[in-house]
Amino acid sequence: MSKKGIYGILTMLALTAAPAFAQGAEAGTGGVKWGVVGAAFAIAVAAAAGAFAQGKATAAACEGMARNPGAAGAIRTMAILGLALIESLVIYALVIAFSVQGK
Amino acid sequence: MEHSILYEPVNRLLTALLGAPPVGRLSPGWRAFLFPDGEKAWLQDNVIMAFLLFAALAVILPLARRGLRKRGPGWFQNLNEMIILAVRDLIDDVVGHGAGKKYLPLLGTFAYFILLSNLMGFFFFLTPPTSSFQTTLALAITSFIYFNAEGIREHGVVGYLKHFMGPILFLAPLMFVIEIISILARIVSLSLRLAGNVGGEHLATGIFFGMVPILVPWPMMLLGLIGALLQTFIFVILSTIYIAGAVAHEEH
Repeated sequence: MSKKGIYGILTMLALTAAPAFAQGAEAGTGGVKWGVVGAAFAIAVAAAAGAFAQGKATAAACEGMARNPGAAGAIRTMAILGLALIESLVIYALVIAFSVQGK
Repeated sequence: MEHSILYEPVNRLLTALLGAPPVGRLSPGWRAFLFPDGEKAWLQDNVIMAFLLFAALAVILPLARRGLRKRGPGWFQNLNEMIILAVRDLIDDVVGHGAGKKYLPLLGTFAYFILLSNLMGFFFFLTPPTSSFQTTLALAITSFIYFNAEGIREHGVVGYLKHFMGPILFLAPLMFVIEIISILARIVSLSLRLAGNVGGEHLATGIFFGMVPILVPWPMMLLGLIGALLQTFIFVILSTIYIAGAVAHEEH
């Protein structure tokens, strides 16, 4: 990854963290609500990784269908199944995000 | 958390008939499990909605059965035939030819129940039963018991347990533990996937609906329609694959 990209990500992290810190300071109920931060972080990482993986899977499926249209039906079934299995990991992150956000 | 329109009347009726739920006599764990809303409610939204769907299916489908025709079927018969044939062909493809008829009753019921309850999310006054973890856990446990029972019926208890041993005797104790954990994880993954997807879409649509009640939630609702069909397909095909794995004969 380029240096610019890393700086961009750091800036975005700082920007997203700033409201959380500000809210914690305003509320005055013992600092940052780490549950909210953790939930947002969990779902963000899971969505990013899941989107990347789904993109790769879809690209491979499209390539296979383009090369061999006769096998399109079988490839489509497998692709949908794989996408759902990838997505379910993101959904676990969503469930965990829901369960930690109140803490 | 919003409730469906039936939540108030049903619970008021049950409270009038039976009195308040006996929350005081239960231990805290059972109370949280059975009556999360405390003294206010006998039944949760998902249970009421599941009963509603069950009653609707139990009335509509036998009535539709009477009107079955070989020539010139109506649109309702065509729709039902499409769903049922899709499930049967799926089972034929995955498990083996001729298996479709055998496993159709349960898997077809899954398809109907999950599809219709996912589609309930489109009506703001209803709550999809599959958006709650309890309903999908019940479905997943049903699927789990079914594929294990089919495996035992096919191979016998000893033969079925041999499935888990793996090919090498030396590694058998390790493989056995891993396999048991992995088939128990199927319950969790089946139920969490369904509940998370349907619930998440319902929640997101609700948030968009709260912002602007027209035009803005429509893309999300389209996504919800695709998701409803997709999650039904995924649940049914995963159950079918588990059954296929349980009844398969190993060739050496």
